[in-house]
Amino acid sequence: MDSFTAIILAIFLPFAAAIFIPLLEKFLKHRIGWFAAGIAFLSFALIGIVAPEIIHGHIIQHSIEWMPSIGAEFSIYADGLAMMIGFIASGIGVIIISYSNGYMSHKEDLPRYYQYLLLFMGSMIGMVFAGNTLQLFIFWELTSITSFMLIGYWRGKPASIYGATKSLLLTAGGGLFMLAGFILLHTITGSYDIATILQNPAIIENIKAHPFFLITLILILIGAAAKSAQGPFYIWLPNAMEAPTPVSAFLHSATMVKAGIYLVARVHPIFSGTEAWFILVSGIGIFTMLLAGFLAFRQTDIKAILAYSTISQLAYMMTMYGYTSYHEPGLGVAAATFHLLNHATFKACLFLVAGIVAHEAATRDIRKLGGLRKDMPITFIIASIAALAMAGIPPLNGFLSKEMFYETSVEMGHIIGGPFTFLIPAAAVLGGVFTFAYSIKLIDGIFLGEKHHDHLPEHIHEPPYTMLIPAAFLAGLVILFGLVPSIPIHNIIEPTTAGIILEEVHLHVKLWHGLTPAFFMTLITFIAGLGIYTRYDKIAAWQDRFNARYPRISVNYYYDRIVDGAKGSAKGFANFTQPGNVKTYIYAILLLMVILFAIPAFMMATQVFPANLNFDIPLYEALIMTLMVSAAIAAATLHRYLAAVIALSTVGYLVSLVFIYLKAPDLALTQVLVETLSTIIFLLVIAKIPQTFKEKIPKTTLARDIVISSAVAATVLVLLLNATQGIVSPFESLSYYFLENSVPLAGGHNIVNVILVDFRGYDTLGEISVLCLAALGVYNLIHSRGEGE
Amino acid sequence: MNNTILSITIALIFGIGTFLMLRRDIVKVIIGLSLISHAVNLLIVSTGVFDGEKAPIISNGHHDSSSGIIFTDKLSDGIFAPIVPSGMEVHFVDPLVQALVLTAIVISLATTAFILILAYRIHEEYGTTDIRKLRRLRG
Repeated sequence: MDSFTAIILAIFLPFAAAIFIPLLEKFLKHRIGWFAAGIAFLSFALIGIVAPEIIHGHIIQHSIEWMPSIGAEFSIYADGLAMMIGFIASGIGVIIISYSNGYMSHKEDLPRYYQYLLLFMGSMIGMVFAGNTLQLFIFWELTSITSFMLIGYWRGKPASIYGATKSLLLTAGGGLFMLAGFILLHTITGSYDIATILQNPAIIENIKAHPFFLITLILILIGAAAKSAQGPFYIWLPNAMEAPTPVSAFLHSATMVKAGIYLVARVHPIFSGTEAWFILVSGIGIFTMLLAGFLAFRQTDIKAILAYSTISQLAYMMTMYGYTSYHEPGLGVAAATFHLLNHATFKACLFLVAGIVAHEAATRDIRKLGGLRKDMPITFIIASIAALAMAGIPPLNGFLSKEMFYETSVEMGHIIGGPFTFLIPAAAVLGGVFTFAYSIKLIDGIFLGEKHHDHLPEHIHEPPYTMLIPAAFLAGLVILFGLVPSIPIHNIIEPTTAGIILEEVHLHVKLWHGLTPAFFMTLITFIAGLGIYTRYDKIAAWQDRFNARYPRISVNYYYDRIVDGAKGSAKGFANFTQPGNVKTYIYAILLLMVILFAIPAFMMATQVFPANLNFDIPLYEALIMTLMVSAAIAAATLHRYLAAVIALSTVGYLVSLVFIYLKAPDLALTQVLVETLSTIIFLLVIAKIPQTFKEKIPKTTLARDIVISSAVAATVLVLLLNATQGIVSPFESLSYYFLENSVPLAGGHNIVNVILVDFRGYDTLGEISVLCLAALGVYNLIHSRGEGE
Repeated sequence: MNNTILSITIALIFGIGTFLMLRRDIVKVIIGLSLISHAVNLLIVSTGVFDGEKAPIISNGHHDSSSGIIFTDKLSDGIFAPIVPSGMEVHFVDPLVQALVLTAIVISLATTAFILILAYRIHEEYGTTDIRKLRRLRG
C-alpha cells in the first residue's frame, strides 16, 4: 500500500464505518463500541504505516482532480504536524471509544453516539492531512458540526441544546472568517494549494509585503481563536461540557480544540516573524491564559474546572507559537508542539477521571466530593499523575514542556527588550501559578480530606476495567514522556517542528538543565502556587461577588443579548411574513403578479393597448362570450352551493365551445368529458357539506377585493392583448418542428395527439401519475377519518 | 388570433375567479380556482405563436372534401370532421399550446377533485368550511 492510499483510507474508513454502524448494531448490540474502537485503531495503524517516511523528513504530497473549475484539487499534505495530530486524533480516539464502552449506559442510543464519534474522527484526520485550504475548510466545519451533534447528544436537556448551539455558532461562524481569509490568500497568491504556498519562499515574501497581509492574518486568526476557545470566544467551551464526558475528553480537550492551534501552526511559515503575528497570536494567548486560569477558581463542577484549564493550556500553545522572531523562527514552536502532545495525554486522562468520579459518586460538584482516595485508590493515583503533570511537577511530561515555555518566554523577553524582558516571563509564571493552584485543587477536592457522607453514596468503588485501563494507559504515557522524553521528541516533535518552521531541528530536552532562569521560575511557580492555593476559596468567593455585582462584565452576557435579539427579530420577521392568514398570502401573490406584469407593460406605453383591436365577431360568438361572463358572475354571486356549481359547469361547457371556435377539437372533446366528471364530483361533495354560514362581506373588504380582482383582470387583459398581436418571437417556435415531423416521424396526422402520446409522451406519463396520486390521495383522505374522533 | 372580445371575456372570468378566491368559504374558493383554471386554459390556447385557419390535423387523404376547410372563424360554417387533404398548402393553428392545455385540463380535474375532498374532510373534522374559524383552531 502506498502512503497516499494509506492516508486516504485513514480518513475515509471512519466515514464508511459510520454508515454501517446502525446495521451492525442489530448483531453486536451494545458491543458496537468495540467495533468503533477497532476502526479507530485501524486509522491509527494506517497513519503508523506512513509515519517512518515522515519522520525521516519526507513530506507526502499527492493530489487528484476535484474541482478543476476553481483550481481546487483533493490533495494530501502529510508532514510531521499532520502526522502528530493525526496520531493524537486516532490514538486518543481508540482510548476514548474503548472507555465509552464502560461509560455509556446500554440504554442510550449507542449507534448515534459511535457514529458521531467516528465521523468526528474522520473529519479531524481529514482536516490535518488536507493539502489545500478549501478542503481544510470543509473538514474543519465537519468537525464543528460533529462537535455540535455530540454536545447536543442528550437532546432533551435545554443545557445541552444551549451549549451545542453556542459552540456551533462560534466555531462554525469562526470557520467562515477563516474561509474569507483563505480566499484572500488565494487572491494574493493565486493558489489554494498549501504545499505551493509553503514551499515557495517567493510567494511567502509576496504575502508579507501585500497590503492584504494584516486583514488576511486577522481573518484566519479569528477562525483559529473561535475553534480553540481563545480570547472572547472562550465562552463556548465551558458550555460544551454538557456533552458526555468521553466526548469532552476527546473533542474538547485532546483534539477538536487543537484545530485552531493546528491552524496557527499550519500558517506559521506564512505569517510568522512579523510584528503583527507576535502581537496578535501571543497577545490573544497571554490574555486568554491568564483570564481562563484565573476564572477556573470559581468553578465548582470538576468538568468546568477542566474546561477553563483547557482554555488556559491551549492559550499556552497559542502564546508560544506567537513567540517567533526573524532570528529564531523555531523559538516557541517546539515548546508549543511538545505541550500540545503532553496536554492531549494528561488532560484527556483527567477528563476520563472526571467521568469515573461522576459515574461512581454520582456528582461532579467539587464541594460535595472529597476523601475518595480510600474508596478508589487506583483512580486516585492516576488522577494525581495527570494533575501533577498539568501542575508541572517533575519528572512528568508537563514539567518538561512548561520548562520549555519558561525558557522561550525568557528568550523572547530578551529579544524584545525594555520592560518586556520581565513582563513576558512574569506573565508565563503567573499562568503557571494559576495552573498549579487549580491542579492541586482537583486532587485535594476530590480525593483528599474528609468524605462528605451526606452528599456521597456509602459505597464507592473502582470503575470497571474498561474505564480504568484507558485512563491508566494515558497516565502511563504521561510518565513515559516525562522520564524518556527522547521518544516523543525524536519521533514526533522534531519532525513536527521541522514541518512548521520548514527547517531541520535537533532538540535536547532533559529533566535537569542546571540553574537556569527557567529553573528559578519553576521554583517561584511552586511556591506562589502553594501560597495562592491557601487563598483559593477566598479568591473564588471574590469572583462570585464581582460577578454578582457587575453582571455586564461578561462575554456571555453579550453573547446572550445578541442571540436573544437575533431570535426576537427572526420571530418578528416570520410573524410579519407568515401571519397565518390565507387571504394575506393570496393578496401578496396577486399583487406581485400585477406588479410584475403591469409595470413593464405600462413602461412600454405605446404597446399597452394595441391599435388594431378587433371587435368584429359574429353575433352568436358574442352570445357565447356574454353567456360565459354571466354564468361566471352567477357562480360568484349565487349563495347556494348547488346553484353556484351549476353556474360553474355552465362556464365549463361554454369553454368547450370556445375551444371549437379556437380550432381545437381535441380540447373541446376533453373539456366536455372533464367538465362532466368534475361537475359530478362537485355535486357529490357539496351534497355532503351543508352550507353552514353566509359570508357577510364588509363594505371595505368588498371594495378592496373588487379593486384587487379588477387589477388582476386588467393585467390579464393587457397581457393577452399584447400576446395576441403576433409579436415576433426572438426564437423559432417548437411548433414548426411538430408540424413538419408529425407524419414522417410519428406517422400520426392529428398533430396534438402525436405530441401528447409520442413527442412528449413522458409528459403524458407524468399527467397519468398525477391522476393516480390524486386518486390515491382522495381515497386515503376519505378513509383517514377515525383517529381524531 | 386577434380577438379583443375573447380577450376581455378571459380577463373578466379571471377577475371573477380571483374575487371568489378571496372569500372565506372554502367551497367558494374552489369554485374560484376552477374559474381561474378555465381562464388560464383559454388564455394559453389563444396565445398560440402563430395564426392559422386549420385545426392542426393533417388529413390522410381518404376523405373526400371539396372545400378542404374544416374550421373557420365562423361557427355558422359548420363543424365537420377534421380533414385537410395532405399535400395542400395549409395554415394550421399552433398545435403545441393545445397539447399543453390538454394536459392542463386533465390535471386540473385531478387537483379540483383533491381539494374538494380536502374541503370535505375539513368540514368533517372541524364542522365548518370557514377559513377564518380554521385559523383560530391553529395552535
